[in-house]
Amino acid sequence: MDKAIQVRDLHKRFGDTHAVQGVTFDVQQGEILSLLGPNGAGKTTTISILSCLLQPDQGEALIMGRSVVREPLAVKAAIGVVPQELALYEDLSARENLDFWGKMYGLRGAELRARVDETLHVVGLADRQRGAVRKFSGGMKRRLNIAVALLHRPQVLILDEPTVGIDPQSRRSILDSVKDFNHAGTTVLYTTHYMEEAQELSDHIAILDQGKLIALGTHAELVRIVGELDRLELAVNVPAETVLAPWRALAGVRQATAADGVVTLLVDDSNQALPGLFETAAQVGARITAVDIQEPNLEAVFLHLTGRALRD
Amino acid sequence: MKLFAIALKDILRSIRNSFFLFFGLGVPLLATAIFYFAFGGAGSGDGFELPVTPVQVVNLDQAGAEYGGFSAGQLLVAFLRSDALAGLVQVTEAADAAAARAAVDRQEAGVAVIIPAGLTAAAFGPGQGAAIELYQDPTLTLGPSIVKAIVGQFADGFAGSKIAVAAAAGELEARGLPVDDGLRRQIALAYAEWAQALGAGQEENTNTLLQVRAPAGPAAGSGGTMPIVALIMAGMMVFYAFYTAVASSMSILQEHETGTLARLFSTPTPQGTILGAKFLAAGVLVALQMTVLLALAWVIFGIDWGGFGAIALVTLGTVAAATGLGILINALLKNTRQGSIVYGGVLTVMGMGGMVSVFTGKMPGSGSAVDLASLVTPQGWAVRGYSFLLQGRGPLEVLPTAAVLLGMGIVFFAVGAWRFRRRFA
Repeated sequence: MDKAIQVRDLHKRFGDTHAVQGVTFDVQQGEILSLLGPNGAGKTTTISILSCLLQPDQGEALIMGRSVVREPLAVKAAIGVVPQELALYEDLSARENLDFWGKMYGLRGAELRARVDETLHVVGLADRQRGAVRKFSGGMKRRLNIAVALLHRPQVLILDEPTVGIDPQSRRSILDSVKDFNHAGTTVLYTTHYMEEAQELSDHIAILDQGKLIALGTHAELVRIVGELDRLELAVNVPAETVLAPWRALAGVRQATAADGVVTLLVDDSNQALPGLFETAAQVGARITAVDIQEPNLEAVFLHLTGRALRD
Repeated sequence: MKLFAIALKDILRSIRNSFFLFFGLGVPLLATAIFYFAFGGAGSGDGFELPVTPVQVVNLDQAGAEYGGFSAGQLLVAFLRSDALAGLVQVTEAADAAAARAAVDRQEAGVAVIIPAGLTAAAFGPGQGAAIELYQDPTLTLGPSIVKAIVGQFADGFAGSKIAVAAAAGELEARGLPVDDGLRRQIALAYAEWAQALGAGQEENTNTLLQVRAPAGPAAGSGGTMPIVALIMAGMMVFYAFYTAVASSMSILQEHETGTLARLFSTPTPQGTILGAKFLAAGVLVALQMTVLLALAWVIFGIDWGGFGAIALVTLGTVAAATGLGILINALLKNTRQGSIVYGGVLTVMGMGGMVSVFTGKMPGSGSAVDLASLVTPQGWAVRGYSFLLQGRGPLEVLPTAAVLLGMGIVFFAVGAWRFRRRFA
């Protein structure tokens, strides 16, 4: 299988901030790769370089064999970019927006009209095509934002956190659409900080943290990093920091982190660990109010690799 | 093609924006209309026009045989009805004084002129007096003042007659010659005839004491006159054309802030095409605005802008300078918030500076210090170009001004484009 995207030792600095530090990965044609990481991990910077919006300080990136630095126009013609923020003309209608963006990708005349009709149908906006975008709901705008990137049938679709801030129904619709585009042969590069999205969509997942790629593989491969460890989420009736240190000191506890009043732990065996956790909590005057035992997942992988929860 | 697609999109968005329609077209016309009505419709090219005042006249002074059939009252009525005053007063003779006053009370007339029965005798007879009564509508100021000035001028003539009679009689008596009433009337009549002849001479401009001459140049109505309203309209057009250019070019910053510019950059569209399209859109909008305003000013205010070639040259230069400045200013701004300051401050100061010669009554192109100072701004050059059009100058005469504007536009655009390229590289 040919490589749709090749990234080698990519670096990008903004002043003192080293936003991308030696990132390297490949995406095969026809697959979905998710860049997973918290805010500030370097996902958007990496995507901006691949979209030819930023020049890398070091390293190389090729899309469909074309360099983003030396052949930007060829790369831009091959990709469709869905930016994280809505990038639409709200005073124009949905159809006028698509007409305009289609022309920017070189579409004209009957072909343009046909593509606009088809795309409006795909994203479910055919019946609202004449309405001004400013009157659309957030979900409708998100769908139109994606539609713009699909008009010219790109070989590589790049989506930068397309589900941020939208309702569950629209989110479901977008995830299903991404799968459909991929089944139709489009290579997808998808960034998210939602573990569930990466897990559901991706053939491969690249985990980024503080500008570095810390893990890359299939979901199963990544989960194996944490081995047979169990992941526990415990809610307590006191500030989570009260129990964090005593719990970390317990035998069988590999990692412990707190966020939003919930303590997340990686333990060797949850059955053996839980009595000790309850006992220690009681000793510091805390009471466990909820227990959630989970199979190893990407959250556990991130916690294992960084010592922090993905949502931190 | 992408260039035109981007430009068309920008133009469409601007035209749909009520801000452009109001400030680009509405405000310049409104501002000029205010001046137009304030000056009584002085935009027609015939200069300042005063309102015609309806006047009711009652002449109680009848001609008598003792004055050879001459009546001062009849002379005043004839004077008020003369063609020379037709543009100032509209005279109607009333049956009596009460009817004339009633017409004023009903506001059918602005002034009633009541000529007393003994006016002729008072004019010629020594020691006699008679007063012409002016009964005026208290709500009016200008019309009654004009009538008062006309009647006063007439009365002054008869006062001169009495002085002439007294002086002549005194001289004759000093030499021992008898002066009776008959001689006094003859002297008075002779003075009156001379005064009438003098008045007629002024009308025909043959008076040897006072010659009224117009400055050399094209005749009125041939495009050689420059009424103040036309000059103000030109200033307003230029003033707001630069606003439109800067506002339209600000779409670069707006698109940068809303993310659509980054999205444009992610399409296979060269950066130069995007910037060129922004320039084109701003230029088309300014040209559209200027064309509409030129046409509306001609239709509404009757402003004669001269020949097409000269108009096209000046307008092309203005469009280029305004659009280039728009690109340059926006290239120097960080965001649209700074743009508001430029809108309210820098452009207003530059626009006022460009119009300073209009406001101070120093005609653009006059070479005065104020006129030359206005040329520091491109607006000053544009106002100068349109004032040349109003003076009836042809394409060759306005070409240097248009060339300066075009050159400014090219330089502004080049610097602005360089700044943008560095910024978005």
